[in-house]
Amino acid sequence: MKKILHFFGQPSAFFGVLLLVLAVGAALSANWLFPGDPLDMVAAPYQWPGATSGFPLGTDLMGRDLLAGLFHGARVSLYVGGSVAVIALVLGILIGGIAGYFGGLIDQLLMAITEFFQTVPPFLLAIILVAILTPSLTTIVFALGVTAWPSIARLTRGEFIVLREREFVSASVAIGASDAHLIFIEILPNAMTPILVSTALLVANAILSEAALSFLGLGDPNVVSWGSMVGTGREALRTAWYMIAVPGSAIALTVLGLNLLSDALHTAFNPRLRRKRGAGVAPDVQAVRL
Amino acid sequence: MLQMTSGIVGRIAGRIAGRRVRRRLIQLVLVLLGTTVLNFVLLKLMPGDLVDVIASESGNVSPQYVAELREAYGLNHSVAWQLLHYVGHALRLDLGFSFRFGEPVATLIFERLPATLVLTGTALVISVLLGVLLGVLAARRPHGFVDTLLSTLATLGYSAPMFWTALMLIVVFGVHLEWLPIGGIVDTNIAHHGFGLLLDRLRHLVLPAATLVLYYVAVFARLSRASMIETLQEDFIRTARAKGGRPWYVVTHHALRHAVLPVLTMLGLQSSALLGGSIIVETVFGWPGLGQLSFEAIKSRDVNLLVGVLLLSAVLVVVLNLVVDLLYGLIDPRTRHRQ
Amino acid sequence: MTSKRPKPLPPSTSTLLFRDDPLGATVADLKRRRLLKGAGALLAGAATPFMFTGEAWALTEPLPITLEGAKRGGTLTAVIHPEPPTLAFFVNSATMIGAVASKIFDGLVEYGPDLRPRPQLAESWTVSPDSLTWTFKLRQNATWHDGQPFTAADVKFSAEEVWLKISPASRRVLQFLTKIDTPDAHTVVLHLSKSTPATFGILDSLGTPILPKHLYENTDIRNNPYNNKPVGTGPFVFKEWLRGDRIVLDRNDKYWAPGQPYLDRLTWKITPDVSGRATALETGAAQYGERNPVTFADADRLATLPNLVVSREGYNGYAAWFWLEPNLRDPILAKLEVRQAIAHAINRDVLVKTVWGGYAVPATGPESSLVKAFYTPDTQQYPYDPKLAETLLDKAGFPKQADGWRFKLNHDFIPYGDDYRRTGEFVRQALRRVGIDVTLRGQDLPTWIKNVFTDYNFQLISSWGTDGLDPQIGIEQHYWSKAEAKGTPWFNASGYTSPEMDHVIEAAQTETDPAKRRDLYFQLQKIAQRDLSLINLFEFRWFGVWAKNLRNVTDTASHSRANFARVWFDKA
Repeated sequence: MKKILHFFGQPSAFFGVLLLVLAVGAALSANWLFPGDPLDMVAAPYQWPGATSGFPLGTDLMGRDLLAGLFHGARVSLYVGGSVAVIALVLGILIGGIAGYFGGLIDQLLMAITEFFQTVPPFLLAIILVAILTPSLTTIVFALGVTAWPSIARLTRGEFIVLREREFVSASVAIGASDAHLIFIEILPNAMTPILVSTALLVANAILSEAALSFLGLGDPNVVSWGSMVGTGREALRTAWYMIAVPGSAIALTVLGLNLLSDALHTAFNPRLRRKRGAGVAPDVQAVRL
Repeated sequence: MLQMTSGIVGRIAGRIAGRRVRRRLIQLVLVLLGTTVLNFVLLKLMPGDLVDVIASESGNVSPQYVAELREAYGLNHSVAWQLLHYVGHALRLDLGFSFRFGEPVATLIFERLPATLVLTGTALVISVLLGVLLGVLAARRPHGFVDTLLSTLATLGYSAPMFWTALMLIVVFGVHLEWLPIGGIVDTNIAHHGFGLLLDRLRHLVLPAATLVLYYVAVFARLSRASMIETLQEDFIRTARAKGGRPWYVVTHHALRHAVLPVLTMLGLQSSALLGGSIIVETVFGWPGLGQLSFEAIKSRDVNLLVGVLLLSAVLVVVLNLVVDLLYGLIDPRTRHRQ
Repeated sequence: MTSKRPKPLPPSTSTLLFRDDPLGATVADLKRRRLLKGAGALLAGAATPFMFTGEAWALTEPLPITLEGAKRGGTLTAVIHPEPPTLAFFVNSATMIGAVASKIFDGLVEYGPDLRPRPQLAESWTVSPDSLTWTFKLRQNATWHDGQPFTAADVKFSAEEVWLKISPASRRVLQFLTKIDTPDAHTVVLHLSKSTPATFGILDSLGTPILPKHLYENTDIRNNPYNNKPVGTGPFVFKEWLRGDRIVLDRNDKYWAPGQPYLDRLTWKITPDVSGRATALETGAAQYGERNPVTFADADRLATLPNLVVSREGYNGYAAWFWLEPNLRDPILAKLEVRQAIAHAINRDVLVKTVWGGYAVPATGPESSLVKAFYTPDTQQYPYDPKLAETLLDKAGFPKQADGWRFKLNHDFIPYGDDYRRTGEFVRQALRRVGIDVTLRGQDLPTWIKNVFTDYNFQLISSWGTDGLDPQIGIEQHYWSKAEAKGTPWFNASGYTSPEMDHVIEAAQTETDPAKRRDLYFQLQKIAQRDLSLINLFEFRWFGVWAKNLRNVTDTASHSRANFARVWFDKA
């Protein structure tokens, strides 16, 4: 209890969670506040925020409501962010954990695969995968998940390498615990803290990557995403820059919230991390973006 | 060019004669080979091919025309055949021909490479220097006013999507204030010479580089701040202070060398992102670099060109990591003898 | 400067070639010409060759075409996007490649705003009475940019190696070209085995490319290094190409027309960002942008500026239209009522206004109203009527299910850019309103081409094409069952097979009586609109933007094919 209060006492945690609550709230209330399709053309195009009643954030160049787009876009961003994080965590923990635990040939093989993924620019790889599979939310989640797991794998592997030498592991081995038991019940819970910290970053990067893909026109054309809103508004740069400013700010604020949260988590867990220093792990693990 | 590079690397490697370096070079070759094969197969999985693109652009073709083009470009063979054909050429350091652009792949890549390197190189150098400086400043008094201010700004710069930062910079500086050009690499209307040309190129470099800097500065500032804070709590720093060293001297001479290590690691990690991040910035600013070329190559299924670009990217990553390793060894003697 | 008129042709051939004139004269003129057979009266000027059938939108008048007071000087900076991947215009006939190449290479003729041929490398030409022998007298003083003289040998070489073997359009049209003779160094004779009226529409630099024999003979023409540093006979010489940045052309000081070209230099600035193009034109950094260089909103804005012209003139030779193509192999779309419902569900007036900024007009059929010689409005129309659409869908056996949707439909819009994407979105919303659960599939171009033309893996796509100067060139391939060719883009992909339509098309291919031929094409339009194998939505109205003081830009059938020899800056 004290820890939770301590955690929220930090300004970064407070603001981070606040921003996230706003984003999640927007996503959850989208269908209720703005029923219908945000892609519908409902008013005259090129309306500035506040120019027409009923459209506080204005309309885009096809006459679509920007506020509705903002709320529905929150759903898309959070869905993609969450799903990508899940995929990256599952793949990364599995691969990194197995590599770190067993070592030897398995480790080298898995690390070679990881290195391949790290030599291809991740964003370029995502574009190629989406092109192969035709853009839709599902394929985007797949493509981004596949490009995001290497950093989690490396992180997990590093933790496992250190942890497997610990006494509690040898103790378990002595009483005859199986490999699976050791990996999932003994070591993994202790390795989770840096992984948890990275999760917020994973979600943030996924949101940014999805926005970038949509901006380039590689997003799902059946939904409104913040990135696609910026992409559409790019044409009106000179005269109606609010079309870019509004959705872009939404992305920046949501990602800011996630980053602040990640910072707060990192600080909260820091004392434990400091005691576990070793193997040259960078103190601030940042998932590689773009 | 590729021959030259491998020759130089070989000579340097021989001179350093570290077992680690030699092993790294073998790793390099294996990685390159593996990457080439995997990339080639992956790219061939994309539906449609170059002939589809050319035939579609021509607007008025016949089935014979399509068949002839496929034959001329070797696209009517199996993927396995094409792969062997490609690897065979690549081993002779021949990266093949881009039928889309009508030029050898190597020529195209090295034509566009300088533009990307100038952009990302400038941005990275500024980001590292500025970032480390800011990080050190913030670390002197954690949670103080300066620290909170810098940290917040840094996190904001790190959170905003790059394409949005780019567009907002264009709106403010290019459209409304009209201080800087909104795109391109050089002015076409007026032919500048000498110093004027340099100035013109610098003017065009400002906004694209600024976009990258706003993001990377945050990365390095946060990293060096955290690393610095941790280092400053180490025992050897307390010893140095106890010995009566001036605070600033302690910071720069003792702490900085160690705090900078994660920054180097990050540089290595980010090297593959160099090319990916440049896609967005180059597309928004119309910067004629490798990122834009890659995107165009994906859209037109120019597999030869793409595999060439990915190969180059792999080389850059491995070389950069090698350099980082060596620098690590120079800076931190403890790591020099580690496996 | 007046160009030399071709010798007046014997009446019989003129009726075939000119009176039939698929090259779009006004309706009034057409009637007159029927009476004045063979009088060879060419239209004086381009006197409103098209009619404003749609909304009024922001356009400005360019300065009149004249060479009076023409002065040398000036660099013309043009914005272009996308960047030409190569300058081998004879392999890849994409528009932006031709836009650049047409300034470097001359052809036998060029086409004026009245869509009639004017001499270029061919000073004059005659056609035999049976129209199987075409004789061209070539210019004596034309040279290649490297100094070598231009001779008939170059034409013969190009005809044999390029027109018949490589260049896509000429291969189709000149399929009956059997022999090329060169009785002397400046005369070329083409021998055809079957008369092809459409031939006279492709004799310009891009339709029948003429390459230098001394640089291309015995080489791999497709991969010749000169493809990207071309040597032509045109008014501008290739200087340099900085990829991703610009293409620079300098004046050809030895051009065959005395005093021309007037421009010192022509720089093509590659500007991928659409706002960048608008800014460049607005600030004067660029003085020319061809074929919809900026967004429609920007066009309206630029038209109000005193130093710019936004105009649709100079594009008569580029009539094009946009349609939705159903896959008739799909059981749902095979039903005529479903297609009719789709047609009724889309409000084309709103579509052309919101998505295309008024720079398009609703179509009545596949033939563009700009091609007066073959157009008829007397076809079945499908006005916007969502209630009727819903009734039709009910009748077709697709009532609304419990979830409110009748059936699922994939719509693969043509991935040619934002405007096309937005049209796709518009169609999606329109069809969803009548209960069709439309899912958009946004593929990139190669995927789309493969899905549509190789695998026929689609339900409803959107597409567009040029009408061509003759329906045989641009329209036939979408309705003729024999045009279906798996793996070849832009041919009949819907699977439409109608013996009635085939009969009409094949009869028109060989019909020599112009009036009968015209009637056959009228019938094509009627059948097309009745059977709805293509749901024709709108006709394009392309526009260009250029500096007000730039003269003679519109003195052509299509900017993208003109050589700009007579373009000059009127600094007065």
